[in-house]
Amino acid sequence: MDLYPFFDWLDTSLLADISKAYGGVFAVVQMFHLLGMSVLGGMVLVGDLRLLNVVMRDTPSEIVIENTHKWFGIGLATMIISGIFMSSAVSLKLYYNEMFWAKMSALAVGIAFFYLVRRPLLSVPHEGIRPGVLRLMALTSIAIWFTVAASGRWIGFS
Amino acid sequence: MLNEWLLSVARFLDAQDWSTQIHESIYLYAWIETTHVLTLMVFLGMLFVIDLRMLGLAFPNVRASTIAERLDKPMMIGLVLMVITGFLLYYAIPVRTTQSLWFRIKVVLIVFAAINAFAFRARMQASVNTWDTDPTPPRHIRMGAAASILLWAGVVVTGRTIAYDWFDCHKELPYAMYWAAGCVDEMAAFASE
Repeated sequence: MDLYPFFDWLDTSLLADISKAYGGVFAVVQMFHLLGMSVLGGMVLVGDLRLLNVVMRDTPSEIVIENTHKWFGIGLATMIISGIFMSSAVSLKLYYNEMFWAKMSALAVGIAFFYLVRRPLLSVPHEGIRPGVLRLMALTSIAIWFTVAASGRWIGFS
Repeated sequence: MLNEWLLSVARFLDAQDWSTQIHESIYLYAWIETTHVLTLMVFLGMLFVIDLRMLGLAFPNVRASTIAERLDKPMMIGLVLMVITGFLLYYAIPVRTTQSLWFRIKVVLIVFAAINAFAFRARMQASVNTWDTDPTPPRHIRMGAAASILLWAGVVVTGRTIAYDWFDCHKELPYAMYWAAGCVDEMAAFASE
C-alpha cells in the first residue's frame, strides 16, 4: 500500500502550516514526544527489569506488569499524536527517508509485540511461564523499544 | 566577569583536538547524542514512574517507599550516563553552547530539579511511614512530584531548543539578551556604540 497520498495531504494540512511556521510550538510538541517516550520507556523498563529479576524483586511481577499497562498506553498515544504533528513539518522528506521507515517498522513491531504477545502472555500467573521465556520476552521488549528510540533520533542525522 | 570566564573555558575546550574530532566525526557525535536520548529514556522513565506513584496516578497498590527505593539505582545509572554523554555533547561544541540562552536556562532548571529532588527525598523520608500504603500521598509530596515533572519537562524542551538559533550571538538582540546569553564580544560592541 502506497502511503504517499497521506504524506502529500499532511504536507499541505493545517498541522503543516503550524509546524512549519512556529518553531516554538514545534519544540514544545517535541518535548511532549520525548516525555511520552520517557513514560513509555519507564513502564517498559520497570516491567521488563522485573521479569529479569533486576528490580522490585519483593513485589510480584504480575502486580508490576499490571500497573504499567495504563501508562504505557498514555505514553504511546502521546508519542503517536505528537509524532504526527512533528512529521507534518517535513512529511514529504520523511516519505523518502529510510531511517523514518526503519523507526515506523520498529514501532509497528513494538506495538504488535506488546498487545499481541507480551500482554496476553503475561495475563496469566507468571509461575506457569518458563523463566527462560519470561527473560527472552523482557530482553526482546527492551531491544525493540530502544531501537524505536534510537532510530527516531537517527532520522535527524540521515 | 562570569560570562568572560565561561567563554574563556569554552574557548580552551574548543581548541582541543578531541573536541574538534567529536564535532567533525561522521558517526561519533550522532552516536553520543543517540546514547544521550536513550539514557534520557532510562533516567526520566524511572523518574516518571516514581513521580507518578507520588502523585497517586500509578502503582497505587505498591508501597511508595518500595517504588522509590527499588528504582533509585537504575535511575541513577541512567543519570550518570546522561551526564557523561551530555558533557561530551557540550565538549564537542563548547563556545556556541556556552553562549546559548537555552543551554543556560537548561542548566538553571537542572539545578532547581536537583534541589527539588533533595528536598523531596528529605520530606519523603521524614513522613513516609504515615502514608506509605496510601494510594494517594499527602499534598506536599504530590506538589514535590509535580514540580519534579515540570522542571524536567523544562529541561527537555530547553535541551531541544539549543538547536535553534533564535537568540544566538550573531543575531541583533537587546543588550539584556546578549548578557543573558553571555555574548561577551557583542556586549562590548554594544557598549562602545
